[in-house]
Amino acid sequence: MRRADEDQRLDVVATVNGRERRFSVLPRLSLADTLREELGLYGVRTGCEHGVCGACTILVDELPVRSCLMLGVQANGKTIRTVESLAEGSSLHPLQEAFRRHHALQCGFCTAGILATSQALLAENPCPTREEVREVLSGNICRCTGYQTIVDAIMDYAENGQAGVAGGERGPAE
Amino acid sequence: MSKSEVAQIRPKSIGTSIPRREDPGLLTGRARYIADIVLPDMLHIAILRSPVAHGRIRHIDTAAARAMPGVELVWTGQDSKARCQGIASTLEQKGFVATIQPLLAHDEICFVGEGIAVVVAHSRAQAEDALARIEADIEELPVVTDAAAAIDTDDLANAAVPANMVYRSNRVTDPVEEAFASAAISVEGCFHTPRVNASPMETRGFVARHEWTTGTLTCWSATQMPSFIKTMIAIFLQFPEHNLEVITPAVGGGFGQKAHLHPEELLTCLLSIELGRPVSWIEDRQENLFRAPQAKQQINDMALAVDDQGRFLALRDRVITDSGAYNSLPWTPLVEGHAGILVVTDPYRIAALSAESLSVTTNKCPIGAYRGVGFSAPTLAREVLIDRAARQLGLSPFEIRRRNVIRQEDFPYQTRAGMMIREGTFLETVDRLEAMVGYEDFRKRQQEAFREGRLLGLGVSIFSEVSGIGTRALNFLDFPLTSHDTATVRVEPTGKVTVTTGIVTSGQGHPTTLAQIAADAFGVPMEDVTILAGSTHHAVGFGTVASRSAVFGAGTIGRAAEIVRGRMRAVAARLLQAAPDDIEMTGGMVHVRDDPGRTMPFAAVAGAAYFAEATHPDDFDPALEATAAFDPSDIVLANGGHAVIVEIDMETCLARVEKMYAVEDCGRMINPMIVEGQIRGGMAQGVGMILLEELVHDERGQLITSTFQDYLLPTSLDIPDIEISHLETPSPLVPGGIKGMGESAMISTPAAVAGAVNDALACLGVAIEQFPASPQRIFEALSKVGVMDRGNNFPV
Repeated sequence: MRRADEDQRLDVVATVNGRERRFSVLPRLSLADTLREELGLYGVRTGCEHGVCGACTILVDELPVRSCLMLGVQANGKTIRTVESLAEGSSLHPLQEAFRRHHALQCGFCTAGILATSQALLAENPCPTREEVREVLSGNICRCTGYQTIVDAIMDYAENGQAGVAGGERGPAE
Repeated sequence: MSKSEVAQIRPKSIGTSIPRREDPGLLTGRARYIADIVLPDMLHIAILRSPVAHGRIRHIDTAAARAMPGVELVWTGQDSKARCQGIASTLEQKGFVATIQPLLAHDEICFVGEGIAVVVAHSRAQAEDALARIEADIEELPVVTDAAAAIDTDDLANAAVPANMVYRSNRVTDPVEEAFASAAISVEGCFHTPRVNASPMETRGFVARHEWTTGTLTCWSATQMPSFIKTMIAIFLQFPEHNLEVITPAVGGGFGQKAHLHPEELLTCLLSIELGRPVSWIEDRQENLFRAPQAKQQINDMALAVDDQGRFLALRDRVITDSGAYNSLPWTPLVEGHAGILVVTDPYRIAALSAESLSVTTNKCPIGAYRGVGFSAPTLAREVLIDRAARQLGLSPFEIRRRNVIRQEDFPYQTRAGMMIREGTFLETVDRLEAMVGYEDFRKRQQEAFREGRLLGLGVSIFSEVSGIGTRALNFLDFPLTSHDTATVRVEPTGKVTVTTGIVTSGQGHPTTLAQIAADAFGVPMEDVTILAGSTHHAVGFGTVASRSAVFGAGTIGRAAEIVRGRMRAVAARLLQAAPDDIEMTGGMVHVRDDPGRTMPFAAVAGAAYFAEATHPDDFDPALEATAAFDPSDIVLANGGHAVIVEIDMETCLARVEKMYAVEDCGRMINPMIVEGQIRGGMAQGVGMILLEELVHDERGQLITSTFQDYLLPTSLDIPDIEISHLETPSPLVPGGIKGMGESAMISTPAAVAGAVNDALACLGVAIEQFPASPQRIFEALSKVGVMDRGNNFPV
């Protein structure tokens, strides 16, 4: 077992958004702060740092976790995906497109965490019911939308998948 | 009065649900919020906050903290006081008691969570380490926590506020005794709305960078009111305003909480000036729950007199606002009960009103603005009483409202508080809401459920909303302030349009909707318009508060565009050999009215204005850039209604929302999709306020709900799908007929949820007047009538 002083930075090797990254962190730094401060992945948001709001949710080995309740050093040997990995090049992922089309975000602060939870849900259950979506989303707090359009977006993506209509500004006006 | 001119805008893009242009940045983690601002050499702030609600600082020892690794500076209140007295907050009202809130307490501490020392270090963690080494010797003083009792006690919550009374107002004091004496029934109640926190998912934050070589101070603030913040920094810190810039990054929700000047903002500026380095203050959730402006705590002692036909005769309200220890800036505690009583009768014809508002100081965090402000609480009291009157008279909640709402034939109708109501769809709202709910079916379903041992309840709320709040509305609400915004529009040489505005978004969609407005103002496609916002170098304005941005966006952009359009028309008239008045702009083209053959691209006219003097009329001013102000000439009143169905579980006493309905009339909608998003979000917050959320203080003034484990926000399991219907009554005072609506749901949904809980319990003779209607409160209410003692057996 390795022992470290509190002011001693520890080396970590992790696969982050498809790339092997080597970095060193203080043992007390949360994974959320590590991803933000050490790797510049500012899409990871912290809303409460108590594991309640879910804004910091990311995928660790494809499972959704609270990055505020994990330490940066615990990322060693893990595969991590953040919201920055979702779009390909300059085009949104169809799930992101669905969020935009259904107005499933307003201030956008909870969005990264909700996308991570949604990805994990859809990987396990590609055809969820609205009730199942609401159940799984209940660990992600959103203060702006009232949730309904988030459920709409996830259901649309689940039902239509890649066939989702790309939403441009001149796109699907009502 | 030119600032109130209503420019012509032809809706084309306006009215369509265009997806938001800000979404790609927000969906990909690319948007930058305040905590993402990183500057070279930046330092971090942590603040030591008072553990006692009321006390006097004897001594603070910071020596050990100063010696900690990474610490650059430690200040106590004496240090900040030497540079800034604090935030003075007053209103020009006779008898109003001003307060000065110190940036850090230096003598008297007035609430738990008030800052008493600050550490600046290389990291937030190091700064917090140092906080733990600060020793504060505090003499505790008597604590005032109950606003109703504070009126009669000799203990003062804040030595600067005599008798704990910030302001007592009674603008409308009709004699109502006769009406109550002659009424067939009168219904009354004493309604307590909870102290809540807007709880945006992003907490507050501020970054300041002072450069002594240029004398400039650049601030990044998660604020809804950048121009206001800038001017207040200049005044309170005596900093030259022209060297100040306030930049607003992406903001993760505001809801009013970020529409205040926070002591920490001034403190951060001072620390950057002191240290000559950028300084960042990002609060954590606990600080937000302790210290960010709180809201909604009122006691409304209200009575309604009703004749045997269900017609309202008179309304009496005495409201106490639990104001906290200081006046927030700019709103003061008058943002609650004082403002609320002036609109309490609004959707209804009520001939007599007697209303009094008391704003009372307590040892709690200052009360401030939160979506719906002081309108939510009296609306709740009124609507719950109306439901109660309907039950007593055997009328449906819709029918009793139908008999009392202001109708078409009543316009213009002047309320007893003095507001002139010129248009609206009050009666249509009642009818439409009733149809959406399927009222008769609901009552059958309610009875069936009752036989099965389940309690269903329906609550209804009809509202009007003072929107687009400018000088007229502020004066009506007894906030004697002048406010106007400006926008600048520039038509570029290639025909693209650049708009600069002081309106900032915290999620409401302005980058998209303002572009829709500007596109229609020039008759160009939306992709040819860009909106520049988020820097005080751009434009001035009061900010995004009080459901005003759509109105002020349309007003300012419309007026500025009209100036530029006039110049372009003059050039086009020469080029197309027509009269300037006959020149029209649509679809990116400029053409002669009723003569589609004579046409040229919008860009060609712009190019001529810039580069072809030969095309210019005599004395032509070629500036295709103009700035204009706007302030509506009167109140812009929106309206609508909400209905909510709840089910109360008899075993757990948990109230669950089953269904929610909304009717909204915000005049012409710019973007229906965004309007519906605003309604749904506001309704969710309304459910939170009435069923879940409460900042609880114990008798010593300790806040015992300081995390999201104790302060419960609605989740996806608490909010059902919501059915929405629209009516559109255009405002003649705003370009395009637009009205505001951002706060509508938080004004009215709490009333509907409260009404639904009361409707569900009415059959057992139980009323709930204290909120949130938590399982504990429902259990206690049921226990009082003996229902819980009978082993959950219904008294059927």
